Amino acid sequence: MRVIDAVRRSGVAVEVDATVQQAAAVMEQSGVGCLAVLDGEQLAGIVTDRDLVRRAMARALAPDARVDGVMSSPVVTVEADADVAEAFTRFGESTVRRLAVVRDGRFVGVLALDDLLGGLAGALTALAHPVTAELASAHRESPLPATS
Amino acid sequence: MRAKVGDRIVIKGHRVGEPDRDCLVLEVRGTDGGSPYLVRWGDSGHESLFFPGPDARIAPYEHATS
Repeated sequence: MRVIDAVRRSGVAVEVDATVQQAAAVMEQSGVGCLAVLDGEQLAGIVTDRDLVRRAMARALAPDARVDGVMSSPVVTVEADADVAEAFTRFGESTVRRLAVVRDGRFVGVLALDDLLGGLAGALTALAHPVTAELASAHRESPLPATS
Repeated sequence: MRAKVGDRIVIKGHRVGEPDRDCLVLEVRGTDGGSPYLVRWGDSGHESLFFPGPDARIAPYEHATS
């Protein structure tokens, strides 16, 4: 499976000169907790709702402060067409819960750890089915072939 | 997804009780109607770039009723 096929949510981005108030409003309106911050077509950083609380509100930053002052950068990225195993590696190497998905260096979406875990849970349930079915019918066995 | 200026995009809620969201396409920044799109969210006037995922669909245009 490719990374882009594991993405479950739309990506939302603002420009580097957006204000923290605008970023918060876009998060609220779009229902996402993480925005990509773009400088033209280049990915400059990521800002999360947690960043806005810890780096803006807690420090009494003005609502018109620029979002690039509170974003996280550099960003942990993964290529859209890479195998999803690459995303596992990226998560394993870092402490982030979201990866910016890029194609040819351009932002195309966000892969959340929760989305991967949800997919894995479904896959594990399917994989465990033969075992759980056997436990539920412990005495089910194939009949022996008839002998003459 | 292929969108055009004036399309409305609806993003379904991800959790029980979470409402759907919608935005209006103001500009198509990709080629051949592809993303990203410059969108405006609801009635707020707030704009952002939007990169549609599997949770997004283009909603039919709703004609105003008199």
